[in-house]
Amino acid sequence: MTNSFAVAIAVARKDLRAEWRTRELVPALAQFVILALVIANFGFQIDARNAPSIAPGVLWLALVFAGLVAFGRAFAAEREQASLEALLMTPASPVAIFAGKALAATLLLVGCEAVLLPALALFFGTPLTVQVVAAVLLATIGMAALGCLFAAMVARVRARELLLPLLTLPLWIPFIVAGGQAVQVAMGSGSGSYDQAMALLVDFDILFLVLTSLAARFVLDE
Amino acid sequence: MSILVANGLTHWFGPEVALEAVDLTIDSGEHMAVLGENGAGKTTLLRILATAARPTSGRLEIMGLDALRERRRLRQRIGYLAHAPGLYPALSATENLEFFCTLQGVSRTRVAETLGLVGLDAVARRPAGLLSRGMQQRLAIGRAILHDPKLLVLDEPDASLGSDGAELLAAVMKERTVVLATHDHALANRLCQRTLTLRHGRSVGTATRLHIVK
Repeated sequence: MTNSFAVAIAVARKDLRAEWRTRELVPALAQFVILALVIANFGFQIDARNAPSIAPGVLWLALVFAGLVAFGRAFAAEREQASLEALLMTPASPVAIFAGKALAATLLLVGCEAVLLPALALFFGTPLTVQVVAAVLLATIGMAALGCLFAAMVARVRARELLLPLLTLPLWIPFIVAGGQAVQVAMGSGSGSYDQAMALLVDFDILFLVLTSLAARFVLDE
Repeated sequence: MSILVANGLTHWFGPEVALEAVDLTIDSGEHMAVLGENGAGKTTLLRILATAARPTSGRLEIMGLDALRERRRLRQRIGYLAHAPGLYPALSATENLEFFCTLQGVSRTRVAETLGLVGLDAVARRPAGLLSRGMQQRLAIGRAILHDPKLLVLDEPDASLGSDGAELLAAVMKERTVVLATHDHALANRLCQRTLTLRHGRSVGTATRLHIVK
């Protein structure tokens, strides 16, 4: 019998290795987030007073759209290469395969965040603190689980590019609300509690990780 | 002894029937070719036999197990070559097989042996995307036999293989039960003891090697 942990790691490593060699996704995502920041920088009248209240919104907008691309590619590439069936024809657990794909997509989005967060600090002059990074990373985990689940769901249907945002965005709202609040407080513009927002993010992460791992089995099975 | 018993396999794609009440029995070690025109239902039948698809109705028993309920267990014993090679173009031939070793739960020592068997040891480090179509097909065949399956289901395995394709297929089919789909009647006659012909999703008869020759 196959070891689920080894399968998940092998799937993630395979996806990251393929990305490293082809450099299809991360450079495009990094370029996208930089362009989003440039547009926001010119679109808003940014100054020292309003930057902390505008920057979190720009951050989450850029992150949400970059995430849709990253998670959409997770299964789209398998479909284009016709390799998804070969993957699922092994005795490996569909949940382990899903976990590996989600892990790789998460790491790719984290790579994109490594460009986004310093660039945000540069363009908007907002502080790049551990609190901001922690809130973004915590939100990324749950968003990745949901994004990959829906990406797997729509991988075999037509109009998948349209369906993915329609299915995913409504369920990402809790992460954007809690993450947005945490980042606003960390940047000195919010009024709520940072700890409460982070606790909410942890709760959402646990809830959606459990739900997506239960659903992955049925989504990936024919 | 029968390794595969199918009764009334039927599959619908929306309003279209792809496979209609196909009955099939395959004995251990037997090689069977599935023949038919394009759209006859060969790929649908093979996908069901490989447990890649569920029939709309019908019963399928493979190696004594209910193939509709015990799919994961059976996949350890079934090798499936789909119509498309389904390889990872950025990974080398070796890396492709090593990856599937982990998913199949078999030792990576199988990789070198398998590459040798399908004649790809010289290009083992070359990315799969840079291999010729025939070499990709060989690699996909190698992946199908990586875990030493008892039952091999091959969908047009001769596609793009060179002149020595029949020898390669004979080598990988040795000591295994095989169901293969092909358009090539000569290949079917050379490699298989029996054929099943499909037309519009229906079985229009089976023949032994003697009848194929005639």
